[in-house]
Amino acid sequence: MIRFKNVSKTYPPDVVGLQNANVHIRPGEFVSIVGQSGTGKTTFAKLLIAEERPTKGQITIGGWDISSIKSSEVPLLRRQIGVVFQDFKLLPRKTIYENVAFALEVCGASQKRIQSIVPQALKIVGLSTKADRYPKQVSGGEQQRTVIARALVHRPKILVADEPTGNLDSINTREIIDLLKKINEFGTTVVLVTHNREVVNELKRRVITIDKGMIVSDQEEGKYLL
Amino acid sequence: MLTATLRILKFGLQNFVRNFWLSVATVSVLVLTLVSVNILLSLNVLGKVAMSDLESKVDVSVHFRPEVESSRVQTVKVALLSLPEVKDVQELTPAEALAQFSKDHSGDSTVIESLGEVGENPFGSTLIIKARDIGDYPKILAALDNQSYANLIEGKDEGDRDAMISRVQAVANKLELFGLATSAVFAFLTLLIVFNTIRVSIFTRREEIGIMRLVGASDGFIRGPFYVEALLWSISAMAICLAVVLPAVKFGQPYLQSFFGTDTADLAGFFQANFFVVFGSQLAAVALLSLITTKMATAKYLKI
Repeated sequence: MIRFKNVSKTYPPDVVGLQNANVHIRPGEFVSIVGQSGTGKTTFAKLLIAEERPTKGQITIGGWDISSIKSSEVPLLRRQIGVVFQDFKLLPRKTIYENVAFALEVCGASQKRIQSIVPQALKIVGLSTKADRYPKQVSGGEQQRTVIARALVHRPKILVADEPTGNLDSINTREIIDLLKKINEFGTTVVLVTHNREVVNELKRRVITIDKGMIVSDQEEGKYLL
Repeated sequence: MLTATLRILKFGLQNFVRNFWLSVATVSVLVLTLVSVNILLSLNVLGKVAMSDLESKVDVSVHFRPEVESSRVQTVKVALLSLPEVKDVQELTPAEALAQFSKDHSGDSTVIESLGEVGENPFGSTLIIKARDIGDYPKILAALDNQSYANLIEGKDEGDRDAMISRVQAVANKLELFGLATSAVFAFLTLLIVFNTIRVSIFTRREEIGIMRLVGASDGFIRGPFYVEALLWSISAMAICLAVVLPAVKFGQPYLQSFFGTDTADLAGFFQANFFVVFGSQLAAVALLSLITTKMATAKYLKI
């Protein structure tokens, strides 16, 4: 499904983001990308959603080479990859429902489709009863769940979550991780980028460890090593 | 496709309303530009009216010697009318020439007294010639310099109207130049203001744009609302300009006709007759200027 072949990313002038990474993630996997701050985890995620282009090497997703993807093709890629960030990225003037619907609106989905999909996504993340609230009227965990619902409306094959629990307390963290596991059970490949040791150790799933831009470990039922 | 287009329109309208004061500032500058263009246009139209009015008043008077018989004068008149440059020739008999002279100098007692002392009518016949075009007078005058007329013609009154027309023409040209320069300055200001407004609009919507990119909105969908916004500025500016210019012209129309002393100074009629051409082309021009500026600003600041 996802393949990194000798991928390197260098930022000018000579800052190494990722160095000679070789990774293969199979469909339906739940993979944690771990490492300390500034080691290249976010670079990995950004390369995956074509936010950055690799300096060297090849990245393929489902056979689609996105290493040198055209700008006009990026939206098509993004509709197949759901993205969740630490800083929520919700629009404060829109309700929970409107924030989720926004992802479909800007992609030209019909109103009928929006009215059909958004309630389903909100139901999956457990926010059906809070659809009319604004982001500031719900907790951090609920805000992050809104973001996950928004990422799900395109029915992505891959969900990339970059430090989704970074701003959350332990209870909300657990809820979000449970939600990601649930989404993974539906068949979506989940790539979780985190430096939260407890989360990774409790998951007991595949763990790829990055240190100083290099993949130093790739364990099927791994633990947080560093 | 239709859904996406309607949403782009909706988002553009939302931006227009959300950035209300920015929109007001931008539209104001566009209105100033359009009003200055219309002032220039009005001056141009009025200048042409003034020129046409002046030209219609220009003529050349040919004074014949008192002893020249009327039949000889008629011969010259026919010869003049045969010239393609001549539009009309009016003849004044010696009595009419005297009456006209007396009327023209009625306030000058010395001239009138001198005329009385002469005793008899010192004037011969006069031909008043009007050319088809103001540039034709030199040709007509050259024709009158014919040797066969030398013994008949006492003098020619070319007047100083040519000089006056030249002066009016020069003023009209300077006004036109000033108007063009003013419009160019406003157009440049429009460019700067629209550019800056788009920049600020991109900045204020950076979060929304970031999310749009993240969830897979197309390039056209992200940029489209900015173009819609620019079009809305242009349409609003044109509407306000119409609301200012048309009543102003209607209000000023009687004063203009009174000033020019002629019904041909019909500015309101001009705008009415050429409404779609004049305002349609202005709307097209200002919209094009705004869209080009938007293209430049989004290319520079909207990285997708």
